[in-house]
Amino acid sequence: MGEWSSFTAVVRGLCLLYVTNKYLGTVTITYGPSMLPTLNVTGSMLLVERISTRIGKLRPGDVVIFRSPEAPRKIVCKRLIGLEGDQITYVVDPQSGDRCETIVVPKGHVWVEGDYIYNTKDSRNFGALPYGLLEGRAFWTLLPRKDFGPLTPKPE
Amino acid sequence: MFENPESKLVGKREKNGRMEQQGYPYSERPLFALCYPQISRHYRCSLKTYGPSMLPTLGITGNVLLMERISTRTGKLRPGDVVFFRSPENPRRVVCKRLVGMEGDQVTYVVDPKNSDKCNTIVVPKGHVWVEGDNIYNTKDSRNFGAVPYGLVEGKAFWTLLPRRDFGSLAPKPK
Repeated sequence: MGEWSSFTAVVRGLCLLYVTNKYLGTVTITYGPSMLPTLNVTGSMLLVERISTRIGKLRPGDVVIFRSPEAPRKIVCKRLIGLEGDQITYVVDPQSGDRCETIVVPKGHVWVEGDYIYNTKDSRNFGALPYGLLEGRAFWTLLPRKDFGPLTPKPE
Repeated sequence: MFENPESKLVGKREKNGRMEQQGYPYSERPLFALCYPQISRHYRCSLKTYGPSMLPTLGITGNVLLMERISTRTGKLRPGDVVFFRSPENPRRVVCKRLVGMEGDQVTYVVDPKNSDKCNTIVVPKGHVWVEGDNIYNTKDSRNFGAVPYGLVEGKAFWTLLPRRDFGSLAPKPK
């Protein structure tokens, strides 16, 4: 009888964890240079909340995580630059010139860009991102310890 | 309600004894009851469809389909499956169409069936799928909004629950 009650306790705990992960928030680990200087190259651990994406309260400047449109098993972290209907001006290829292009973000899509524009694959490469691929909004850095705190706004 | 004060005490002790044996308070039961359906819902679910875009496979007034999410998670979808996906134009809507091509497939489609027979051939880009409605004269599908990213696909429909005459597995794509 004791084993059954501890088993149900474990199952209940996992259920609660699963529902929290799916609806409230999660922890994610990022790595790579595309979000320098905001995020670390070797890795950052971020707290992500899923409520803003579900109720549609995202704003340009938020750091968001989303499922990559080119590799559906990969979760990518970039900064939200424009919502549907916004007019976006972006540098097409920063390494080879200053040529800019302007587009309007189509309906049901968002525009995401990495903070480090010289080494990032973002909406400049794969186009506007469908809103349904967004997974959550990162709002707090847990690791590394020196970066502990809220995420900084986009560097100018 | 006990009349005899002695039996009242006995009743309380017995009640306490039962609670201790069970080992968890009653207040957590609703939480567990809420959690379990959420999790099972994320692996299979029944969805209602309506609209003319999937005639004759699905009725115009509405069908209730059983959908499973295991095929999408393990990547076992094949052309010909009826899939549900989140609309790229309206993220709050889940759309039901037939999967016609996986990534890398070459898809030939009629651009505008009502006006002409002009066909177009494209290769489905990496990480995307091509979906089309069975009723090509009245459907908004990949011909309109392009290839759908695989991350938007929610699940595969495999059984019709309602209406009763359609109860059973879904028909393959009509020729």
